Amino acid sequence: MSNVSNNAYALTVLSPIKNDHIGELSYGDIVRNKLIEWDVDEGSPMAKVPQTYLARYFILDDVFSEALAGGDFWGTSYDILAFFSDKFRRRALPKIDQLKSRYLVFSSNFHGDLEIYLRGMWAVMQKEIKEVWGYCYAFDHVHDADTFIAYIKKCQLNAALFFVGSTDDSLEEQLKSLYLKQEFSKFAVEHQGLPAMELQKAYQAFIRRVEPTNLAGPSWKPGQSTLCK
Amino acid sequence: MTKVLDLHDIQGNIVRAYGRFGFPVARYIFLQIRDGDKGRAFVGAVTNKVTSAATWGVGPHPIPKPKVTTNIAFTYGGLKALGVPRESLRGFPPEFVMGMKKRKDILGDDGPSAPENWDSVWHQEVHVFVSFNGQSQEFIEQQCQWLLQLIDQSDGGVVLLRGHRGDDGSTDLPYQDAKIVFENGKPTSKEHFGYTDGIGDPVFEGLPDSVLNANGRGKPTADGGWEPLATGEFILGHFDEAHEYPPAPKPFLLSRNSTFMVYRKLHQNVGTFNAYLEEQGKLYPGGKELLAAKFVGRWRDNGAPLVSAPDVERKKIWDAKFAQATSQERDNMLSSWDYDKDPNGAKCPFSSHIRRINPRSSLEFGNKGAFDTPGALSNRRRIIRRGLPYGEVKDPDRDDGNHGIIIMMINADINRQFEFVQQQWINYGNDFKASNDRDIILGNHSKEFPSKAVLPVEPDSDQVPFFLKAIPRLVETRGGDYFFVPSITALCIIAEGTIDPT
Repeated sequence: MSNVSNNAYALTVLSPIKNDHIGELSYGDIVRNKLIEWDVDEGSPMAKVPQTYLARYFILDDVFSEALAGGDFWGTSYDILAFFSDKFRRRALPKIDQLKSRYLVFSSNFHGDLEIYLRGMWAVMQKEIKEVWGYCYAFDHVHDADTFIAYIKKCQLNAALFFVGSTDDSLEEQLKSLYLKQEFSKFAVEHQGLPAMELQKAYQAFIRRVEPTNLAGPSWKPGQSTLCK
Repeated sequence: MTKVLDLHDIQGNIVRAYGRFGFPVARYIFLQIRDGDKGRAFVGAVTNKVTSAATWGVGPHPIPKPKVTTNIAFTYGGLKALGVPRESLRGFPPEFVMGMKKRKDILGDDGPSAPENWDSVWHQEVHVFVSFNGQSQEFIEQQCQWLLQLIDQSDGGVVLLRGHRGDDGSTDLPYQDAKIVFENGKPTSKEHFGYTDGIGDPVFEGLPDSVLNANGRGKPTADGGWEPLATGEFILGHFDEAHEYPPAPKPFLLSRNSTFMVYRKLHQNVGTFNAYLEEQGKLYPGGKELLAAKFVGRWRDNGAPLVSAPDVERKKIWDAKFAQATSQERDNMLSSWDYDKDPNGAKCPFSSHIRRINPRSSLEFGNKGAFDTPGALSNRRRIIRRGLPYGEVKDPDRDDGNHGIIIMMINADINRQFEFVQQQWINYGNDFKASNDRDIILGNHSKEFPSKAVLPVEPDSDQVPFFLKAIPRLVETRGGDYFFVPSITALCIIAEGTIDPT
């Protein structure tokens, strides 16, 4: 299972939150409150991090299961246990797993190399990173981009959790594509039925305006969640 | 074994579109229960006259066709006021408990369709729905007198709620009347935009002749045929398409053969529709009538489906064949077809009304065998549509007359069926690969984010696709709610107060 798909990278990070508290409030709840306070969409600190396709944070309180793990490992031959006391049979069931601490889960899909991405992240949202990861074990070793990268790599889980709905092109390419698609739809709707000459003229003006090959030109903003009017 | 339903236990409006059985006029009445005991006595008296789904005039002791039909249904608040036990109430689905007004965000009832703009009857707590469908207006008036007497006898226990908008600008009418549209003095099956309506309602197991009528109205099968849908998609207490009983309250006696009904009053902006059709019809290469057909997926005059009659020439051939056809053949011509010869929407556009509300097997997108059955994505979103137009178009250039349609949609699961279709298929287009384009006719189009729709052409043709732009809101919600339509058994135990959910 690879967490790299051509130029797209799926990063999954689980950082254990210290079992401590401030007043009555546990660190886990404090971190959750900080995350809730962050702005969303274009205003999210993650919108400033270069090449982020989609990112998600949440607090993992514990592991949950649908039901108690069963004792049917040996199939029906397990029924022989009915011979023994209930206490014995219960003891034979697998133990229920529990997390030793709560975890800050950070999951991001982005374009390109992990270290470059994390360096970019550190550069634009150091304050927010410290605000949430500051309550996690071993984060006191982090004081610059290099130590942040080392820390994240230690917390990284090798999981191929890719979000659908994205290619592996750079973020600028994808935002520009979305912008062009929307603008071109508008153009087609607004100009249908024009005589060829006029249409061509309008199309040339359209191309000059949207600058299809200029990624730095008009485009969607990172984090944008609704259509441009 | 062929499934047989106890039609004597099911209310008649579920199984019959009365308008097609010689009942051209209807009256819908809304009531509030103020006293449980008196309310139950009232329900008991009405129950004696409720029209069941039994076939008229056949078998021993045949039931004659009535002059006027009577049906009844209740909101959650109504069931509570009638003293249905808490343990039973707890079993009703959340969307039914909430009622239609509170589901406005899901339904797209915004702007002019927002609940604050609904008829004032909906600003009160509606508990009971009573409907009469008459062979003539006279019989409705008689039945109405009988109901008013019962209300009178309830001594304040049951109250008639006023507040329906009417013809002369009145806003406080005691009833919602509806009737079929007449054209040059002749009765039609048209609605106020001029479309032939009421074609192709779903057919499910247990209905008389369900196998015979399943063509195009049941579910598509892998070999290109049709089968009736599972009963439990439309009636509680029977297996649905997932071979499960649909969610329903306890006890079984209360829910079996009962169902849910979505009542909606939809105002039609006739002036805006005509102006938009005129304006776009001048630009559209196929002309105005073909464009009108593209909006819906059927031609206005006789309901010919675009899939079989995609242009003026082939419509002529279709019409000639239709004129010669027997009534069974006509039904097949209208209903028995699929989108498999139109995967690109070149005949019937993806945003046309009938493709949106019943995509048949087209969500396979030409990829035969994509799912275990061709209708996998639509079989569980089917809805039985009942209803009639109301009001009259006096000035075809204006929107503010009293004209629209009363639509009643029957389904076993309001959330999975009606609400899903409304939210995902009418007001959004992603499942049709039509981005956020809406149903041309029913979509909640707004000026803020102007709607468009694409009328595609065959990929190898030299024509260009046509774009409808800035589609105005053609239909506005004027009221409605979610109702429980009890079986006759359930009506009896509600009236007796003997529901035992334990």
